[in-house]
Amino acid sequence: MFGYIMPDKPELKIKEYELFRGYYCGLCKSMGRRYGTLSRFALNYDSAFLGLLLSSVHDEVPVLKKESCIVSPVKKKWIVVENKYIDFAADINVLLTYYNLKDNIRDEGGWLPSLALLASKGGYKNAASGNKQLDGIIAASINAQVQLEEQNCSSMDKAAEPFANMLSQLFAAGYKGEEKSVPRILGWIGYNLGKWIYIIDAYDDIEKDIASGSYNPLLSQYKYEKQDTKAFKAAIAEEVRGNLLQALSQTTSSIELLKLNNKGIIDNIVYEGLYSKTERILSGITSEKRSCIKNEKSIRSIGN
Amino acid sequence: MRNPYEVLGIREGADAEGIKKAYKELVKKYHPDQYQNNPLSDLAEEKLKEINEAYDYLMKNVGNKNGSSSYRQQEEPRYRNNQSDADRNYYSQVRTNINMGNVAAAEEILNRISSRDGEWYYLSGLIFMRRGWYNEAVTNLKTAVDMEPSNFEFRDALNKVMFSGKQYQSTVYNRRGYSTGPDTCSMCQGLICADCCCEMMGGDLIGCC
Repeated sequence: MFGYIMPDKPELKIKEYELFRGYYCGLCKSMGRRYGTLSRFALNYDSAFLGLLLSSVHDEVPVLKKESCIVSPVKKKWIVVENKYIDFAADINVLLTYYNLKDNIRDEGGWLPSLALLASKGGYKNAASGNKQLDGIIAASINAQVQLEEQNCSSMDKAAEPFANMLSQLFAAGYKGEEKSVPRILGWIGYNLGKWIYIIDAYDDIEKDIASGSYNPLLSQYKYEKQDTKAFKAAIAEEVRGNLLQALSQTTSSIELLKLNNKGIIDNIVYEGLYSKTERILSGITSEKRSCIKNEKSIRSIGN
Repeated sequence: MRNPYEVLGIREGADAEGIKKAYKELVKKYHPDQYQNNPLSDLAEEKLKEINEAYDYLMKNVGNKNGSSSYRQQEEPRYRNNQSDADRNYYSQVRTNINMGNVAAAEEILNRISSRDGEWYYLSGLIFMRRGWYNEAVTNLKTAVDMEPSNFEFRDALNKVMFSGKQYQSTVYNRRGYSTGPDTCSMCQGLICADCCCEMMGGDLIGCC
């Protein structure tokens, strides 16, 4: 995933902020413990949200421990430990990172991603062997994605389908309880968040994809022909916004159907957080570069 | 039955005013209109039923019998009655399947129809909506409206789709506590719009107009 699902920090209560950080750091520690320190550089907010949502839906009371860590060696922080839903999110983070790197190399090549791929291979193998079903879901989705890209698919809905479907299945697979309706609800939340991530990422990447000549569903759907990039983006922004807000509206009305702990944090993320992200990216304030370096920075910024 | 206070999200022993207020909020949140294009609408309906039961139970015990059931009688029958009336032709089969949530079946029947009139695009739009293909949905609904500009049903469906994104936006604004600006305004517009719709169907949302 890509790290777009973030809270709107200024609107959080301090205790909510600390608890969210506890989940985020807990995810980082879980990845480090189970898949090696290197895997922690791929940590991202989307997986932290998944861990938080799954814990909350299972009515799990978080076990907190004060620990220090490499980015904050002196000051100890509260960290959520021994949480199987965080471990689940960690598995998914590791699996997706591996496939994502592989995809980047196929698109762009380069020595840096190749090196990162090599480094993440060990973690991937461990995670995949324990999660055959999840690995299968992700692999199938990537295959479908590659095919659509090769056909230069010109419908954003069609192009987003594999990713949205994948998140739908992964979210639903994270539920271990008895309620029949919950995996359905989680699945629809995953579908819509997947759609939102896919489309916002495509919009965010327009300049980059024009420069590198890579596939981008929005360039295909709105028939980009070498016109001014800014004007092109401005012309499609309104329609893209409609799609993004629709996905968010469906996400939030589905979340209202769940019985959740940590409602304050989750609401902050899905209302304020996702909305402000949407507007920021549509107005052309592009998100930070998404590389290993950025992820390292985001660990740091949350530690500060 | 779950603890009715818990269902309404209020403390035990709340007074009639408090119960009514919480109830109104929840009905607004889980109203069928909010879930019209959401495949989880059946779950929202269940939730609303639970809320209605809790409300009726509490109102009976608090002793205010007049206040009960006001919303339920207005809303639920209206929401349910589009399910009956089946099997006259393909289109009504498609509609029935959409209402029951059988999107794949609806799509299959729709594809057997060779004519491409407004209704075809309208139904196709509804199917795309249920599948989460919002861009295709809007394109199809717009085509339907263009082909039959006077059809209220098509226009209404398109407006509702466009409105739900806006509604998310205004929820965010309200949560942040902004009380002025165009979004409160568009919310009022929506309310008045909804009131008009209700009145057309014999109900009423805003009592004074």
